[in-house]
Amino acid sequence: MMENNFNRRDFLKVMGWGGAAVTLTGCGFTSVEDGREVVTSYVEPPEYALPGISVYFNSTCAQCDAGCSVSGRVREGRVLKLEGNTASAINRGKMCGLGQAGVQAHYNPDRVREPLLKGKAISWEEALGLIDGKLKAVKGEEVAFLTGGLSGHVKVMFKNYMDTLGGANHFVYEAASPAVVRASNKKAYGVSMPRLHLDKAKVVMSFGADFLGSWVSPVHFSQQYAAFRKGNRPEGRGVLVQIEPKMTLTGANADRWIPANPGSEGVLALGIINALGKAGLSIPADIAGLTRDYGVDRVSKETGVSVEQINKLAGLLKERTPSLVLVGDAAEGYLHGSQNAAAIALLNRVLGNIGKTIDAPANVPFPQVAPTVGSRSAVKALNDKLTSGKVQVLFTYAANPVFSAPSVLKFKDNLQKVPFKVALAHYMDETAVEADLVLPLDSALEDWGTGVPEYLAEGAQLNIQQPLMEKLYSGTRGVGDILLALLKQRRANEYKGYEDFYSYLRHSLVSIKGVLGGSGKDDDIFWAETLSQGLVKLSGNNGSLAAKANAAGLNLPAPAAEDSNYPLRLIPSVTASMRDGRNANQPWLQESPDPLTTIVWDSWVEIHPKTAARLGIVEGDIIEVASRNGAIKAQAYLFPGIHPDAISIPLGYGHEAMGRYAKNVGANAFAILDQAVDKETGELAMNETRVKLSKVGKRIIVTKEEGPAGGMQMGKKIAVRVASDKVNLSEEI
Amino acid sequence: MSVTNLLENWSTFRHFHPVDDKPHEQYKWAMAINLDACTGCNACSVACYAENNIAVVGKDKYAHGQTMHWMRIERYWDEDGREFPDQGAQFLPMMCQQCEAAPCETVCPVGATNHTADGLNSQVYNRCIGSRYCSANCPFKVRYFNWYDYPDQEKVWPEPLPQQLNPDLTVRTKGVMEKCTFCVQRLTAAKSDARNEGRSVRDGDVQTACQQACPAGAISFGNLVDPQSKIAKQWEKQRVELAAHDEQEKDKEGSELRGYRIFEELRAYPSVMYLERVRESAV
Repeated sequence: MMENNFNRRDFLKVMGWGGAAVTLTGCGFTSVEDGREVVTSYVEPPEYALPGISVYFNSTCAQCDAGCSVSGRVREGRVLKLEGNTASAINRGKMCGLGQAGVQAHYNPDRVREPLLKGKAISWEEALGLIDGKLKAVKGEEVAFLTGGLSGHVKVMFKNYMDTLGGANHFVYEAASPAVVRASNKKAYGVSMPRLHLDKAKVVMSFGADFLGSWVSPVHFSQQYAAFRKGNRPEGRGVLVQIEPKMTLTGANADRWIPANPGSEGVLALGIINALGKAGLSIPADIAGLTRDYGVDRVSKETGVSVEQINKLAGLLKERTPSLVLVGDAAEGYLHGSQNAAAIALLNRVLGNIGKTIDAPANVPFPQVAPTVGSRSAVKALNDKLTSGKVQVLFTYAANPVFSAPSVLKFKDNLQKVPFKVALAHYMDETAVEADLVLPLDSALEDWGTGVPEYLAEGAQLNIQQPLMEKLYSGTRGVGDILLALLKQRRANEYKGYEDFYSYLRHSLVSIKGVLGGSGKDDDIFWAETLSQGLVKLSGNNGSLAAKANAAGLNLPAPAAEDSNYPLRLIPSVTASMRDGRNANQPWLQESPDPLTTIVWDSWVEIHPKTAARLGIVEGDIIEVASRNGAIKAQAYLFPGIHPDAISIPLGYGHEAMGRYAKNVGANAFAILDQAVDKETGELAMNETRVKLSKVGKRIIVTKEEGPAGGMQMGKKIAVRVASDKVNLSEEI
Repeated sequence: MSVTNLLENWSTFRHFHPVDDKPHEQYKWAMAINLDACTGCNACSVACYAENNIAVVGKDKYAHGQTMHWMRIERYWDEDGREFPDQGAQFLPMMCQQCEAAPCETVCPVGATNHTADGLNSQVYNRCIGSRYCSANCPFKVRYFNWYDYPDQEKVWPEPLPQQLNPDLTVRTKGVMEKCTFCVQRLTAAKSDARNEGRSVRDGDVQTACQQACPAGAISFGNLVDPQSKIAKQWEKQRVELAAHDEQEKDKEGSELRGYRIFEELRAYPSVMYLERVRESAV
């Protein structure tokens, strides 16, 4: 803060060296500035800056879309660490590793620092003028926007700007998103993201929802999970069953992890319903009709799960209610992903969980700030548009399609058909590299904004994002400020009252302070309180669920045929740290071992030891993984937590640009995905890519946390496990 | 002292800390980690990097075992010969156990690592000469040596990353040993604040960085001397005793407790109690 105000000229004046600078340069010093340190006087300290005392400012984490509230520790004008804000119902003072690394997004050495036109620095006036000129020459429908999920006032600004242009196309893209699950929830419960109560469930059966690692709102669900595991709650210690072909962090914490055959999740769900009926549970007639043919023997054969196991699961679910059945990535990533999800949703109806552990979310009273969530199909839709050559100007924001679109789409090539591409970016990522004009953004810890999370833990809340310190670089701008400047180009009169996005935001919130709990308060006081809290609870009635989960139209396909050319199925994994790769340039995340394999700083291919033995592969072999649409190379890691007919590669690695910590680290699994889509939603079916493996004849030592014992305790009692009937949890503290 | 004498009377020699006739007076910092709540997510580890100015060493040095993670998650598989690990993995957050009879302390030639009155195993960086005996003698392998000059020569904090460094503690230089301190900078601040108000630190006044971040709330931390603290109650409930010899109550036949310390039999008297991970017997 102080350092920025203290420029070189002042420095020289204070030191009385104004005339000495030139002389000194010639005395063997390269510059008089060598070894310079800035001395800051605190005789009159700025407000809230007591030397040595930390102050905490509340804001919102921007590392993923869960919308956790953070409390930034600020000292001497610098933000040092992010803690959780205890006032938020979403994270209640807690943080994940990804969120902790938010400071490294802010202080990242590879941030873009000034507007770039084809790599050359230009001024903001030139940049904005250039956009204005280009847009004047094209029609509204020739303009396209590709953004990540949006909410809050930045969403409002985007919408206003697109409306101004008239007919601009908006594509909302999230490379890793529960898009099929949302659609399925909408059909089964009437809402796309219901409230879940793991903490009230006696059994949680999750069909591949990695809710502890990367699914929807992991920090919130981790807290619910901890409550669910408490032996001293009235329901007793909860039981977690995870069904997925590749063990996720959630699977690693399950009482029972079941690697059902990939794609057979829906069949297993119907089989469990059938078994529940046999065990005496009354099943609604339409569902009973559907599941009649799914006897345990057939289901066992199709899923690879033993008859005994299916009956055990049914027995557990019948005996312990309420339960909660979840659908996640592992079940939705197929051509019949929607069908899978619909079949699994029936379990919740049969077990009577709807209304007990699945609840209606709060309504967001202001739809204009409610979240617009992204899908994987958006990038395909944009790509089609690019192919037709109808896009003249493309804006990208919070999305990196050149990295994350399957290479079969040839997105990067199609992008060349757009004469003018503008990237609003933090880094020179793969998409920004291709852009004509790059507009550098303020970091999330420098910018203003608001947000409404998609998953609302309790009531609706509007998260406040505010700068935790002064900007590091004068050449970056907030996304809201950029959009405001662009809006002013067209509707100067409407927006002339707002000097900047901050004043727009302040005006917007203060003008509705009555409904934000600030009625009767002075504007300044209301505003100061809002910023101090870092979030506003929105009053609004709870929505209601429309329990519509039924058997109509449900028709699960026969097990997929084997593909002799490409015998293995690729399960790309979304890990807690890397997600879709947007945070790959944060070194703490690269050096934070993957929880399951403990590998750092690289990609890997998870192969079941049985499969590896058959193929003659050992740990550290560099393998070429080839699909119909490309091939990548990565190190082999023998992993017992994967279906023998599948392999898994984490997403997010393999950047060709972005920065020093991300570039050339690992391989990009997005690149080899087949463009197979779920038949109902058109979403990319992530688990439908078939691959073959071949050794390239090179072997390395895998860099990982795990020791040479390979995760064995060698008879030592280090991490100890106890069976639930051997321990009394009821009186624990 | 002959080696024979040392070996024969080992338990007497080892029984030096904690001494029954000189108990901790005001503070004894201790931790409990519930392995049934811990999900192995690594949030604690990253929070520790953020709080404690830990260097990111990069792939090559990581491969040489030179990583500096004071808090790490160990991942184990079951050894019961199943085809699939169908009861999941076993995660264990491992950091300095702040042993009461710390094996590292006795071997330091210069007294750089020693015991504080609060029961912490402290590391005095500017006294450390880098013999690394402490690390060799640590049964938990939680001591990390600065093989390189990370800030200046290795430049692991390129501008402007140094602005993130926590000014409450140092960035360590080449040739010194470092390890988890139970966030001693936070303890010192809390003790100072409490002293100014003429009281002791109350339960909840201070959290370690890992505890604060842990999304599942698996880590509890506090003052074992204060009988009202959560940590003291947890230890009491699990009948885990700081000075127990070789076994805890849980190890006895028919016990329904799950509190244990790692390598109890070494009589290092660690200050960290783990609660066993529970797995449902009905599925």
